[in-house]
Amino acid sequence: MTAPSGAPRAAAAVDRTRPPAAAPPLPFRFPPFLHRRLLPGLDLYAARVLRAPMASVELILPRGGQSDPAGARGLASLTADLLDEGTERRSGPELATWVERLGGSLSATADWDASYVACTLLAEHLPQALALLAEVALTPSFPEPEVERLRKRRLAELMRRRSSPAALAEERLGRALYAGSPYGYPLIGEEGDLGQLDRGAAARFYQWALHRGGATLIASGDLEPEALAATVTDLFASWPAELAPVPPPIEPVTAAGIAVHVVDRPQAAQTELRLGHPGPPRNHPDRVPLSVMNSLLGGKFISRINLNLREKHGYTYGAHSSFANRLGPGPFQVSAAVASESCGAAVAETLGELRRLQQEPPEPAELADAVQYLEGVFPYTLQTVESVAQRLSQLAVFGLADDYFDRYFVELREVTPEEVRAVAARHLRPDTSAVVAVGPAAVLVPQLERFGPVAVWSPSGELDVGA
Amino acid sequence: MSAFPELQIEEHRLDNGLRVVLNPDAALPLVAVNLWYHVGSQNESRGRTGFAHLFEHMLFQGSLHVGTNDHFRYIQQVGGVANGSTWYDRTNYYETLPATHLELGLWLESDRMGWLLPAMTAEKLETQRQVVMNERRQRVDNQPYGRAYERLDELLFPAGHPYHWPVIGYMEDIAAATLEDVERFFRTWYTPDNAVLTLAGAFVPAEALALVRRYFDDIPPGPRPLRPRPPLDELQGPVSERQSDAVELSRLHLAFRLPPYGSDDWYAADLLATVLSGGRSSPLYRDLVYERQLAQDVGSFALPTELAGSFALVATARPEVPPETLEEAVREHLRRAGAEPFAEVEIERARNRVLTQHWEGLQQLDQRADQLSQLVTFFGDPHLLQHELERYRTLTADDLQRCAATWLRDERSAAVTVVPSAAAAGAAA
Repeated sequence: MTAPSGAPRAAAAVDRTRPPAAAPPLPFRFPPFLHRRLLPGLDLYAARVLRAPMASVELILPRGGQSDPAGARGLASLTADLLDEGTERRSGPELATWVERLGGSLSATADWDASYVACTLLAEHLPQALALLAEVALTPSFPEPEVERLRKRRLAELMRRRSSPAALAEERLGRALYAGSPYGYPLIGEEGDLGQLDRGAAARFYQWALHRGGATLIASGDLEPEALAATVTDLFASWPAELAPVPPPIEPVTAAGIAVHVVDRPQAAQTELRLGHPGPPRNHPDRVPLSVMNSLLGGKFISRINLNLREKHGYTYGAHSSFANRLGPGPFQVSAAVASESCGAAVAETLGELRRLQQEPPEPAELADAVQYLEGVFPYTLQTVESVAQRLSQLAVFGLADDYFDRYFVELREVTPEEVRAVAARHLRPDTSAVVAVGPAAVLVPQLERFGPVAVWSPSGELDVGA
Repeated sequence: MSAFPELQIEEHRLDNGLRVVLNPDAALPLVAVNLWYHVGSQNESRGRTGFAHLFEHMLFQGSLHVGTNDHFRYIQQVGGVANGSTWYDRTNYYETLPATHLELGLWLESDRMGWLLPAMTAEKLETQRQVVMNERRQRVDNQPYGRAYERLDELLFPAGHPYHWPVIGYMEDIAAATLEDVERFFRTWYTPDNAVLTLAGAFVPAEALALVRRYFDDIPPGPRPLRPRPPLDELQGPVSERQSDAVELSRLHLAFRLPPYGSDDWYAADLLATVLSGGRSSPLYRDLVYERQLAQDVGSFALPTELAGSFALVATARPEVPPETLEEAVREHLRRAGAEPFAEVEIERARNRVLTQHWEGLQQLDQRADQLSQLVTFFGDPHLLQHELERYRTLTADDLQRCAATWLRDERSAAVTVVPSAAAAGAAA
C-alpha cells in the first residue's frame, strides 16, 4: 500500500521497515534479601530496596480459609479482619487513627493459605509499624460490637455480589469444581454460616491456628535488615510457638465430562464466561513450564485465546487464562465477558485452543516470545517496595527456596516446545472442565447444550429445575 | 533512613512542536515510554460520542510498517507491557520496556503518529467497533451501578458541553463511526505539536534525545485546531434522579463542579476529599460506616479535568437503610465542612496520605511518566511533579472550609441514586 499524499516521508537515515536492533539486556537479579529464623516458628525475610523513603512490612500467620471449621465457613477471613479492630490496649478506630495520621495504612486479611497483617508507610515510621504489627498479632481483643458490625457488613457484601456478574461467575465456578470442600464457597463465607461466626469462634480460631508456629515477617524498603532482625526478635519473643494444625485436604469434584452452569440474568447486556477445572498447586515441579504454556495460551494480549476471541472474532473486549497461586489444587480458568449471542462460539473456540496445545507443540518462535515475555516483564513487577514484599511473601507461603527467582530465569530458558505440549496434555482438561455462563439463560442454554448437561441457577444460588 | 535526591528532569521541544520530557533513572533496567495526545472525548461532537476512544483502539491495529496485531507482539515478545487509555481531555499511549529496547518503543510510536492511515481498513474498524461495544457492555451496561456515572455527567454538565457525554460514548454512536471519521480525526489531532512524549528510566539523556529526533523529526506539524472553552453557567440545582437497576444495595452518587485542575480551589477540593473520606479514621467513614452503620462503603475524589473539575462522593447504603437517610447524612457532612473548619490533625492526616501516595506513584516508572506527560500537557511544567506537593502543604483549614462553602453547596449538586429494581437480577422468589 502506498502512503497518501500529505503523509510524511521517512528520512533516509531511518529504516522504518523493520524493528530496530537492540543491545543485549541489562543484567537484572532479584534484590538480595536476608532470610533468617529469628525464633522457633518465626522467619524473617527482609530486603533493602531504595526506590522511595517507604517501607512495607507484613506479618504472615500460618493458616487461612482452608482451615475453616465445617459449619463455620468464612471464619478464617472474619478472624483476620478482626485482628486490627481492637487490641488489649486500643480500639479499632484508635489503631486506624494512629497509623493513618502517619500517612500509612494497616490491613488484615486472609486468603485460602494464610492470614496477613500488613502496613505500608514512610520509612521514618518503621519502628512504630513493627510495634503495631506485634500489638495486633499478639493481643487482639475481638470486641463483641466489632464482630457484630463485621458480620452485618459481610451479609451486605454477599448481597452485593449477587448483582456482580463477575463475582457470580467466580463463585459458581468454585462451587462447580470444589463443592463440599474449601475453595467451594466464598472465602468470606456463606449466609447460612454467618450466625456461627461469633466472638468465641474467632477467638478460638486465633488460638488454634494463628500463632508463631510457622509465622513469617516480611519487610521491604528503606531499611537495615540486621537492625530489623533485632527489633523483630524482641517484639515477638513472648509469642507462643506451637505448631499450627494441618488443614483438611482440598477435595475437587470428580467430573466425567463437561458440565455447564448457567446463572440466569435475563436482562444482562452481556455474558460473563468462565471455563475451568482444578489445576496443580503453586509449588508443583511443572510450575515454570506451566507458566510458559499459560503465557502462550492466555496469559498476555498476544496469547492464542485473546487473539482468537478478541482480535479475530470480536466476541469480547478481552480474554485470558490463569493458574491459581494456592497451596492446594486451585483452579485453572479462562475468563472473558462475551457478547451473549457469541457465547457458544466462544466456548468452542476456547476448547479448540486448549486441545490444539495438547496435541501440537508450539513453533519455536512462539515459545521464544513467551519465554522472553516472562523474563522481560519480571523487573516490571518489582518496581515498588510493596511488590518486592509480595514476592518474598510467595517464597514464604509456598515454601519456595531462597534462590527460586534466580533459578526461575535459568529454568525458563530450558523449556522446550515438546515440554509445553506435554504440560498442556498433563494439566489442561478441556473434556472434563466446567463451563460457567452468567447471562440470559434463554439465549445461552440453546448455545451451550451441545457441550454437556446444563444446570440453570438463579443469582441467589437456587437451582432452577423448570429451565 | 536514606536521603532521596530530587528527580532529574529535562525538557526539550522538536522543530515540529513535539514536547519531550526526559527523566533518567537507572534504578531498574527498564524504560517507560509515554505519549499524551491532547485530545479526548471533549473534542467529540454529538452523534459521534466515543470516537476518541474507538480511535485509540485503531492505533493498536498497525501502521504502514507495523502489521495488524504486531504492536503488542513486538512489545510483549521482548518482555514489555503496553496499553493506552482515553479520557475527557487526553488520550495516552504507553509501554514499559527492558531499557535496551527504548528504540523499539520510539519506532512503534513514531510509525503510528506519522504513518497510521495507510494501514486503516474497513475490516479493522468493524472488528474494533465490536470489541468496543463489548467493552462498553463490560464496563457500563453489564456492571452493577454501571450507568450511574454516565447519568451523573449528563446532569452535572449541560447538553452541548463536552463533559456531558460519557468517554466511552453511546452505543448507537459507536456503531455509526466511519473510516472517514478516522481519517479526519487523525489529521486534526494526532500531530507532534499536539503531543507530549515522556521517557523515564535507564537511559543516557543525550542518546535518548538523539533517538527521539531520529524517529520523530520528520513528522510534520498539524493544523492546530481551535480549542473553544464553552461557557458554563452555574448549575441550578439541586438536581437529582433515581435509577433502578439489577442491584441489591442502593448507592448514592453525588457530584459538584469545581474550577479546573490546577486552580487553588481544585487542590483544596482534592485535599478535602482525603480529609472527608481517605482512610478508616476519616470522619465520613467513621460516622457512616463505623458508628451509625448507614453505609457499606464511602469514598470521594476530585477529577483533574481541564475545562472544569468535578468532585464526586459515592456511598453504598446498608440493606436496611433507606437511601434518603444516607443522602441526608452525607449532605450534612458537606454542610458542616462549609460551616466550620476541620481540626488541624485531620488536615495533617490528609497531607501525609497525599505524601505517601506521591511516593507510591513515583516508584512506578509508567505512572511517573504519565504524570509528567499530564503536567506538561496542562501546565507546560514537568517540575510540578515535585512542586505540586507544595500546593497541598500550604493549604489551611480555612481554605478547605471556604472551598466546601463555595463549591459543595446543595444547590450546586447533582445526584444519581441507584435503587434495586423489583426484578433485580432475576432474583428468585
